Amino acid sequence: MSVVGLGLGFAPLLGWGVVAAALVLALLAAALAWWHGLRGWAWRLAAGLAAAAAMAGPMLETGVRRALSDIVLLVEDHSASQSLPGRAAQLAAASEAMAAQIAARPDTELRRVTLADDPDGTLLGEAIARALAAEPESRLAGMIVITDGRLHDPAALPAEAPAPVHVLLTGQAEDWDRRLVIEESPGFGLIGQPVTLRLRIEDQGAVPDEVAGRAATLRLSLDGEDEQIVSIPPGMPLDIQVTPEHPGQNVVALALDPPDAGPPQLTELNDRAVVRIEGVRDRLRVLLVSGEPHSGGRVWRNILKSDTNVDLVHFTILRPPDKMDGVPVDELALIAFPTEALFHDRINDFDLIIFDRYRVRGILPPQYFDNIRRYVEAGGALLVASGPEMAGVESLHLSPLGAILPARPTGRFVDAPFRPQLTEAGRRHPVTAALQGAPGSAGAPWGRWLRRGEVVADPRAEVLMTGEGERPLLVAGRAGQGRVALLTSDQVWLWGRGFEGGGPQAELLRRVAHWSMKEPDLEEETLSVRVAEGPVLAITRRTMEDAIGPVEITRPDGSTATLVLEPEGAGRFSGRFPAPAPGLYRLAEGELTRVVAVGPAAPREFEQTVADAAALRPLVAATQGAVLPLSEGVPDLRAVAVGRQAHGQGIARPWIAITPRGAEAVEGLAVRPLLPPWAWLLLIVGLALAAWLVEGGRLRTRREDSGVR
Amino acid sequence: MSRRILSLALALLLAALPAAAQEPPAPDPRLVAAAADSALAFVITGDPQLDRASELGLAGLSAALRARTTVEPGTPVGVDLDQDDLSLLTFLYWPVTADQPPPSPLAYARLNRFLRSGGMILFDTGDGDLEGIGGLESTGSGALQQLAAPLEIPPLAPVPRDHVLTRSYYLLSEFPGRHRGGTLWVEATSASAEQGALGVTNDGVSPVVIGGNAWAEAWAEDDSGRPAYAIGPGYDSGRQRELALRFGINIVMYALGGNYKSDQVHVPELLERLGREQGGYEFGAPDYAPLPQRLLP
Repeated sequence: MSVVGLGLGFAPLLGWGVVAAALVLALLAAALAWWHGLRGWAWRLAAGLAAAAAMAGPMLETGVRRALSDIVLLVEDHSASQSLPGRAAQLAAASEAMAAQIAARPDTELRRVTLADDPDGTLLGEAIARALAAEPESRLAGMIVITDGRLHDPAALPAEAPAPVHVLLTGQAEDWDRRLVIEESPGFGLIGQPVTLRLRIEDQGAVPDEVAGRAATLRLSLDGEDEQIVSIPPGMPLDIQVTPEHPGQNVVALALDPPDAGPPQLTELNDRAVVRIEGVRDRLRVLLVSGEPHSGGRVWRNILKSDTNVDLVHFTILRPPDKMDGVPVDELALIAFPTEALFHDRINDFDLIIFDRYRVRGILPPQYFDNIRRYVEAGGALLVASGPEMAGVESLHLSPLGAILPARPTGRFVDAPFRPQLTEAGRRHPVTAALQGAPGSAGAPWGRWLRRGEVVADPRAEVLMTGEGERPLLVAGRAGQGRVALLTSDQVWLWGRGFEGGGPQAELLRRVAHWSMKEPDLEEETLSVRVAEGPVLAITRRTMEDAIGPVEITRPDGSTATLVLEPEGAGRFSGRFPAPAPGLYRLAEGELTRVVAVGPAAPREFEQTVADAAALRPLVAATQGAVLPLSEGVPDLRAVAVGRQAHGQGIARPWIAITPRGAEAVEGLAVRPLLPPWAWLLLIVGLALAAWLVEGGRLRTRREDSGVR
Repeated sequence: MSRRILSLALALLLAALPAAAQEPPAPDPRLVAAAADSALAFVITGDPQLDRASELGLAGLSAALRARTTVEPGTPVGVDLDQDDLSLLTFLYWPVTADQPPPSPLAYARLNRFLRSGGMILFDTGDGDLEGIGGLESTGSGALQQLAAPLEIPPLAPVPRDHVLTRSYYLLSEFPGRHRGGTLWVEATSASAEQGALGVTNDGVSPVVIGGNAWAEAWAEDDSGRPAYAIGPGYDSGRQRELALRFGINIVMYALGGNYKSDQVHVPELLERLGREQGGYEFGAPDYAPLPQRLLP
């Protein structure tokens, strides 16, 4: 508490109007007296003025102020890029030295701000802006930022600061780094169609002569297989074609070989990259052949037409070859069944062929059935929903297709209501697992169907649904590379109609169709993995088997481990595996393999690593501060006047300066009247008395004595 | 001890309950047969003459279908709307008369579910003229309005010239029955033409077709295969009966096959696109038809 300041204020008791009125009254009275030649007019004026002044209530204000200390901000960047070799020690040493120098100055406070990692990188701009905003502008004497200068939010940096901002850069002058930059990578790609990755190698910092301009070796692999080696010169964009092979995530791993000469680069973390391309399928083309219009025929259309991802080509045999009605062709709306186009020329364009109650009646020659068989064995999909014709001589099973159908008809067709059931396999199989209303689950039970064909299932095929008493109803089988599903009843439409409550008709048929087209979500045997917090690999294995072997895990460094998955019931097994090191992890169980990429904890931190304060320079220049590399030692700290250049070269080492602000705070204000009321009264009365005495002649001046008398 | 027995008994009871609940009454064998062979169905109105005409008419239409197409429907079934479960049927012929008692609310609920899940009703006012729909209280159309009011029927419009009904089997420009010239009403084509009022699940198929041409009487034949009801004058009567049968066949194809014929328009285009992508093949090249015309689908 030091300096005292004085001030005069007014607090009129009756308002300024009364004061003004008193003033005018006093002036008028004095003027009148002067007009009349009264000798005491000056005394009268003085008395009137004193009365007006008393009404204005003059107050004496006394302020109490205090000098404030200066604040120096010390911002320390502790982001992951500061963990590169040597930088942490530099940071600690500089921070201690600066803190000690600040502490040694009188009336100077130190405020430390520590910046940690953020998922978005180093948010130094925001940290600086916040630190500046948190302190009173008039006390800020300087800011010292210890960082590598690689900030990811330059837009958040303030343009100005009230005090010099100094940047002390970590890192060494001979630091250099080579990095792999992915300029362009599509997130999605059609299966089998190549997509283009564009990448580039960038050298930064003091690139040693042994490395500069030399091509680097890039290793590229898709899902951890087929490693390709490409030589790529630095600075040149390179296009690489990659073909997604399967639906779901295709992992492209890219890695640069370390340069074989010269001093080591800062980090190899940015010499690797993983690009994930989601393999998606083109529109699915489905060929639906209905043997006759029947009550359930529209079921297939409803499902396939409502699926925007499906192009449906539908043919229905409306008139069999043996029926004629003599109606002229131009009155008929029938078109020929383009069998050659469908089953010979274009058959491989279809992703799925459905036969719904198809009766072999001489429309398709046997060689076309052979074509379909070959199409399936080469990886196609076939779905057969059969009615009573299956049990007769016109059955598809008696055509060349019979060889790949997953069941053989006994020749009986049973007309008896039955409730569809899931088999043990059906409860596990993704096509039928967790179907709503399945027997044994919650919800209304399924409605009954009224008839079905009797078949003997192929032992290699999976029977997913049965009628009462283990009679196969839905059989899923494989033929070569392809898949075949057989529904032995034509009455799935009763579910859609809601007969006895119905059932999940659309969902079942949709899943059967997509399973046959190998949709990854509906595969029986899957090994899936995702990277969870930790990082930990969360591994799930779904299977039709009762037991599975351990999962072999190959870490990025080539070492292997095995993990035994815990059963979760209904053919699911799961486990967790810690994955501390970034890179590619390969998982294998039996024939299934998966590749998963674990990124570094702070990937952006290692994109650019050579220390550089370019982004901070405008702020530093605007505040007359300095950017100094710590590799040349910790600078001295001085004080300069506000507005002067705040850095310079001392005898031993450079110096940076803070600007003491001499700020003060007003701590209190005392207000008291200029004169007490009795003093005012005495003054006014005294002056009036003097006027009276003068005018009464009792108090006369010498001039009046000599001049008038 | 006694508590354990009690809980055991309870568990047994609970185990037995679903088993008992699992067996609903056996479905009506007539309807089971109708579901199996896609039989046509008609609404029993209670008017013996009308019901006989419906039965004979649907029998005549079924015979024509069997003789000419792959659809081989079984014996037509009469449906008592207040009693029978409609979920086993696909096509329902409903002759409407002025003095018909309206069905119960439960029957309306069943009818609405039938329409929603892909069934089709052909309403026939039998008066040959539907222009005055809503005006003529004495005729079937007024009765139809009252009967159909509780049904969830989408907005209707006269059949457009290119409607699937005009080409689902035969090419037709009119839809005569015993009468000719009356307007035929179907669901109005909405902006999303491919999806009907009932949503994508119905393939854009109109759940109701409404007309007044007394089709059943035109389809009906007596035991010796002759028309059971007189139609039109002289030579024209044979032609009109043939056209009525063709309409019957078309509407059954529409009920069973949905908009199949309408998207077949796009098939050549689709195949051509497949061909273009692979290069070269043109659909419609003269050598594609492997078999003569009698093998038409």
